[in-house]
Amino acid sequence: MHTDLTFEQVVRDHQDMVFRTLLRLTGTREHLDDLAQDVFLRLYRALPSFRGEALITTYLYRIAVNVAQDEWKRRRREDRTHTSLSDDTSGWEDRLPHPDRNAEQQIEEREFQQSVEEQLRRLSHIERTIIVLYHQEERTYEQIAYALGLPIGTVRTHLHRGRKKLREALQQRQIQERRATCTTNQ
Amino acid sequence: MHDEPVNQHDLSPAEHLDQRIIRALEAVPEPQIPADFAARVARQLPTRRPVSLTPTHYGHNAMLVSMVATLAALIALAPHATGHATFDLLEWLLFAQFILLAVWFSVRRHSLR
Repeated sequence: MHTDLTFEQVVRDHQDMVFRTLLRLTGTREHLDDLAQDVFLRLYRALPSFRGEALITTYLYRIAVNVAQDEWKRRRREDRTHTSLSDDTSGWEDRLPHPDRNAEQQIEEREFQQSVEEQLRRLSHIERTIIVLYHQEERTYEQIAYALGLPIGTVRTHLHRGRKKLREALQQRQIQERRATCTTNQ
Repeated sequence: MHDEPVNQHDLSPAEHLDQRIIRALEAVPEPQIPADFAARVARQLPTRRPVSLTPTHYGHNAMLVSMVATLAALIALAPHATGHATFDLLEWLLFAQFILLAVWFSVRRHSLR
């Protein structure tokens, strides 16, 4: 009973981090509760072998990445369309606060955010995971390397490559949008 | 965050785009977490199997039975063994097995003390 209460506290302390990481890695709110629950159950099962050489947070990132990877595989097997982060009904970008911006800027920023999310989903699993852990979760190269079981050099390479792909895709998109605007104006 | 803030007016279009991308990536989503999520997870935890403190003696008993059976077979085959190569070999094999079991038994008894 005591163990369960302590573990409940562990869940409470880390649930925000697990939910937001899973949300960005899977790109959907669908089954988010179940996935997060899976993460914590895996943690509980792994606790007897947890030797404490890393922070529980880093260990949780590793589990969350594995759970997200299993989810990607499951989706690929099912080959079904899923609700995306940028869908009107589930866009978390809508709730990002921009108190100092006017409405037009906010719309533009939101659209840009959606484009980034869309391009993020097109990256490989490993690139997306590293970008999310580095930028959103503010993990260090060492922590990411530990969480993913990769050498630090590989983490740097994937991060650099992922950002380059993102930049190129977004530049391409901006050029296309400008062309479309010019055509409409003419 | 990881990158130092830069004056927006000094940036080239490419650098400005980079800054926007970084800002978008650093935007933290706010997922809706059910209020009872932690309690629900705690309820789902598998109960750990209690560790049995009463030692079992299945191996010890099986060893004793094997020793008795081997000894019985040795005695039963003894009259046929003299002068018959096959029975002779079988007798030696059973004898070796009996000796091995006896050694194991004595070592195990010693280690259980």
